[in-house]
Order: sequence, then C-alpha cells, then structure tokens
Amino acid sequence: MDTVHRLKSTEPPLWLSPSSELSQTARAASQHLFASLKPFAPKSPFDRLLVDGFDAEQIWQQIDIQSQPIISSLRRQINRFEKNPEEISKIFGRKKVRRVEEKVREVEQKVPEEEIGGFSEEEDEDLEEFDEDSEEGEDEERESEEDEAEDNEDGGGGGIEDRFLKIKGLEEYLEAEEDREYGLKNKKGGSDALKDGEDENEDEEEEEEEEEEDDELGAFDLDDGENEGMDELDDIKYEDFFGPKRKVSKKSKLTDGLEDSDRSDEQEDDQATDNKNKVLSTHEKERENVRAKIEEMERANLESKTWTMQGEVTAAKRPKNSALEVDLDFEHNVRPPPVITEEVTASLEDLIQKRILEGRFDDVQKAPRLPSKAPKEVKEMDENKSKKGLAEIYEEEFVQKTNLDSAPLSFSDEQRKEASMLFKKLCLKLDALSHFHFTPKPVIDDMSIQTNVPALAMEEIAPLAVSDAAMLAPEEVFEGKGDIKEEAELTQAERKRRRANKKRKFKANTTKRAAKKAQDGTLQNNKEGKEEA
Amino acid sequence: MQSNEPATSMEVENVLSEPNPTSGTFPSKPKFEPLKAHEMSEGRMKIDIRMNLKARKVELKTRADTPDISNLQKCTDFVHAFMLGFGVVDAIALLRLDELYVESFEIKDVKTLRGEHLSRAIGRLSGKGGKTKFAIENATRTRIVIADTKIHILGSFSNIKIARDSLCSLILGSPAGKVYSKLRAVTARLAERF
Repeated sequence: MDTVHRLKSTEPPLWLSPSSELSQTARAASQHLFASLKPFAPKSPFDRLLVDGFDAEQIWQQIDIQSQPIISSLRRQINRFEKNPEEISKIFGRKKVRRVEEKVREVEQKVPEEEIGGFSEEEDEDLEEFDEDSEEGEDEERESEEDEAEDNEDGGGGGIEDRFLKIKGLEEYLEAEEDREYGLKNKKGGSDALKDGEDENEDEEEEEEEEEEDDELGAFDLDDGENEGMDELDDIKYEDFFGPKRKVSKKSKLTDGLEDSDRSDEQEDDQATDNKNKVLSTHEKERENVRAKIEEMERANLESKTWTMQGEVTAAKRPKNSALEVDLDFEHNVRPPPVITEEVTASLEDLIQKRILEGRFDDVQKAPRLPSKAPKEVKEMDENKSKKGLAEIYEEEFVQKTNLDSAPLSFSDEQRKEASMLFKKLCLKLDALSHFHFTPKPVIDDMSIQTNVPALAMEEIAPLAVSDAAMLAPEEVFEGKGDIKEEAELTQAERKRRRANKKRKFKANTTKRAAKKAQDGTLQNNKEGKEEA
Repeated sequence: MQSNEPATSMEVENVLSEPNPTSGTFPSKPKFEPLKAHEMSEGRMKIDIRMNLKARKVELKTRADTPDISNLQKCTDFVHAFMLGFGVVDAIALLRLDELYVESFEIKDVKTLRGEHLSRAIGRLSGKGGKTKFAIENATRTRIVIADTKIHILGSFSNIKIARDSLCSLILGSPAGKVYSKLRAVTARLAERF
C-alpha cells in the first residue's frame, strides 16, 4: 500500500524524466493492486503481475486482461444494488460512509443529486424509482473508479438499461454544468448562469440530446469544475439558481406569454410553479397573444427587410454564402437531362432486344433518284496499243460523218440487240400466260426450203383424225426406184444377177480398202508429191 | 529545196535533204513490210524515192505522171514522220489525209527538269508498259512518239492540242488518273458535238 501512496505523493514534474526508482515503485504498486484484485478475478490466467523484464505495454496488457471481467462483474453488481439498495448498506455500511467523507467528489455529488431528485419528479415515473438508487449508483461508480486507472462513464453503450446509463450521464453532465455555473456565478454573480442552467435543463428533457450530453461530458474536464466550485457548494440556495425572488415574478410574467412547453421547461428543477399566483382568463390570454404578435410584427416592419425580400440583390449586399441556404427559383430554358434510372435502362434494353429480333433497324435508305435522262454511254479508256492504224481510224470517222447509214455496230449496240431479243422472247411467253387476247408470235419471214410438202395445199375434206402428213399419196412417200419384187417373185436369172452385183460391189470395196492401207503405209512425200503435182 | 517542173521530161532531180538525227546514226532501215508505203508513194503518189548513203540523204523526186505536186510534200512529211519514229501504218495516214500534222516539242520547253526528275517525267509520260501513252493515243486519235526528251505528236490539229495538253500536265507532275479524267471529259464533249 505504501508504494501506492508514494506514487501518489510524487510531484508531477518528476514523472517527466525517467528514473528507475520511480519505475520500480510503480511496478511494485501495480503488483500490489493486481494482487488485491486477484480474488475478484477468478478467470485470470496470471497469479501475480509479472513485472521483471517486461515493458510497460506488456504490464498494461496483463492488467487489462485481469480487469476486463472485473469491470463487467462490477457493473452487474451495481445493477443488482440498484434494485436492492438494502444489500449495500448491509455489505458496505460504515465503510461506505467513511469513503464518502474521504472523497471530496462524493460530497459534491450529494448536492446535485438533490437537484436531480427534484428534477426527475417532473419526469416519467420510471425515473422516480431511480432517485434513491442514483446516490448509490454514483458511489458505486466512484468506487470502481478507484480500482481502475480510468473508467469510461459515457454510458453510450454496453449498459443493461439504456435509460439508466443515460440518466447517469445526465447527472454527471448536470454536475459539471453546475460546477461551471458556480464558478461563473462567483465571478459574475448574475443571472446569466441561471439562464444557462435553464437552457441546459430544457435540453436535458429531450432524449436525443442525452447522447450529446454524454459526448460533452467527455469533453468536460470534471476536475476543473470541481476545483472551482468546491468551496461554494455547501451554500447552495434558491437564490443561487434563480436569482433574488423579485426576478422570479418578472420571469413568471414573461413565461406566461410563452408557450406551455417553454413554461414547463423552465419549471423543471425549480419551485417556480408555486410562485405563479396570477391565473389569466381566456380572453386575457388571447389578448396577450395578439399583443405579442402585434409587437413582433411592428418590430419586424421597423427594421430593414431580409435580403431575400429586397428585390435585386447583388453579392455584396447579402451575407456570404447566403444564397446557398435559400431555395432559389431559376427559369430553365432547356429540358433537364434525363435521369438514368434502372427502369430507364431496362426499358431501353428491352426496346433494343425487340428491334434486334424483328430486324427493324431504321436504316437510312437512299431515296431512288429519278432518271432525268438516259445514261450516257461512257467510252472506256483503252490502255492497249490500238490495233487499227491512224489512217484507218480517220477513215472510219470520215465515213461515219459522211454516210450516216453505215454506222458501225459498236459493242454496246450488239449487246443491246441481244438484250432486246431476249426480252422479246420473255414478253411473248408472259403474254401467253397473262393476256385474255393472246397475240401470237410475230412471223419472221425467212426463206427456207421445206421438203416433202405438197406444192399445192388443197383443202381436203378428210376426217379430223387424219393428219396432213398422212394425206400424202403412197407414191409421194415411196422412195426407191423401179419395180420392186418380193423375194419369192424373183426368177433364177434375177437372183443370179443380184448375187453377181453383190460380189462385184464387195470386191470393189475390198480392193479400195487395201489400196488405201497401202497408201497410208508409204512416206508422206508421196502424198505431198501428189499434191504438188 | 524543191523545184516544181512540169512532168514532161525528167529534167531536174528534186533533192530533199532530211535533217539527220544529231547522234549521227542512221534511222532504222525500212523493213520489208513497208513495201506498201513504197507502193503508195510510187503507186499512187507517183513519187520516186531513194537513199543517198554517201551524202546521208533521202531523196524524193516527182515523176512525169505525178498528179499533184503537193504529193511531194506529202511524201516528204511521210518520210519525216517515219524518221521521227512513227510506224508506217500511222505515217501512211499523212499521205491519205490532208489535215494531219506532226508536232514536236521538248520536255525542257515545258519545264526544266534535271537528272532523276527528268527520268521520272519520261516515265510518267509513257506509264507502265506504255499504257498512259496508249490511253492518250486512243482517246484523242493521235499517235505519240516519246524519243528521250523529245516528244512528237501526229494527228489532226484539235486532237494534237488535246494530246499536248495532257502530256504537258503529265510533265508538270499531275498523276495519270487526273489526266485520264480530263481526257474523258474532253473527248466526251468532242463526241457529243457529232
């Protein structure tokens, strides 16, 4: 224990320079504290704090490991004690009182706790339960602070009951503010501090602001406030908060004019409700309202208008960046660009897909140009040496000029002729298919000899079945000469004669063939010679 | 150079001296094929022709039965054209048609070019395988001979002009395509006139 005291007693500047003695003392103190806490931390892996050869970070880690479960267990205990305050007095009893006397902080806490008690009466019923517990709660907190180097009491999270913690924060905030007030009051002694207190009380009611206060609490330096207001805390009276009694009546008049909520805000932690003796009638209240409004309007009319009401205002005439706060109305001449949302893109994509499926791409099609005149015959540039001599060319030209009939058929003319022939044939066929009155093929007279047709075409009354071809007489059909005899009709002499002719013919053929073969076998010169000759 | 005499008797020989090429070499000797030309000149033109090797001259002479004295001039022109380099078939046109002329000019008359530029200009004039030259010939009904830096054009007056313009634009540097398009336009206009 004495090590701890020694640490406490060392002057702050001594800590600035590293001294081995101080570090040894510190380590010993830490070890002592660690050991004293050991019974409360059953799950701690360390039996004792290991300080030999360990640096500050490692020692701190050990402490941290041990203290984490202790903190949570303490919290649970505090909650338990909240609900059962009798246990505290049982367990701690005298010990607690002694501690209270020792710590200056706790003395100071009692005073604001009275105020808190008064204040919470106005609030929800849930908080009233807490009034009794608040004292103990605060004490518990102070005790826990002793064990740990620091404790974060913002109460923003980790608490079992949110409200509980917030109210804790509220109280601390109150303390701090009041300390500040006392400090201020000692300097000024005016109503400014009171008004601050009123404003702060107003805020406290709003739950939203509670967390802000918690943050603010962290910012406050509790020590400073405590030190300043320490001496004057014992003599807190009504006057300290709300000034001399005569001011109250003045204020009460003012508050009557304000809204009910404001009134209730101001009444929070003071006994002002008792001091308001006047009760205004409805008519008077209305009149007061109207009068206040009139006063307000007159005041507004007297002073100059805001820049937004002043017509044309340049940048110099209005405060900086004030145009940003005002909702200005612009005339938009152009349509605003389309906001691309998912639906828009989805619709576009659907359209694209549909078009692709249909194959309808809205391609630009060239408008067909009407043929104004017949296409000119373009003479191709001939890059070969001309086959005709120059004389011939001029000759042709001359002939063309003089004799227009014999225009030489150019290549294109021939092609044209061929094309026209083909087209005529095609037209004939189509006409045969389509026209009601069919016009037959035009007869092209050409002189050609037709054989085996009678010179005279006499109309013969013959049945339809008989064709013209069959109308030929037998002797017209017959080809041959002389008298033809059947095989049986031939006489002996004729048979012999026939055979002899046959033999003669055959012999002639064979000799001719043989001669031909002989000729081919000989040299070519003979042939040539023959030719030459 | 020539004296006109009635063809009653063979009095005077009309000697015509041809300007020899500066190089001093002989022009190509006529092949067998231009027998026709001789026929022409002797057959119809009725002009006698001979080559004086010693004096390096070609000599032409009218005969007694020369129908027209201008034939001599025609034959002279024919031989001249042949010497320049035109083919016989093309040169015969001179004999047959009156209004054909030969025009010559040099590249340096159009634009002074030296060395590689000159070679490139000549190449541009003839084109690849002579196609540009043939194109101009066919389009304008002329005949062109490009002899190193000298250019000779044979044809009628207006056609010579067109061909000359095309050749000059080629010498000055325009690409062949441009020349073709101009030619096409001009000849189309010419053709439309008839």
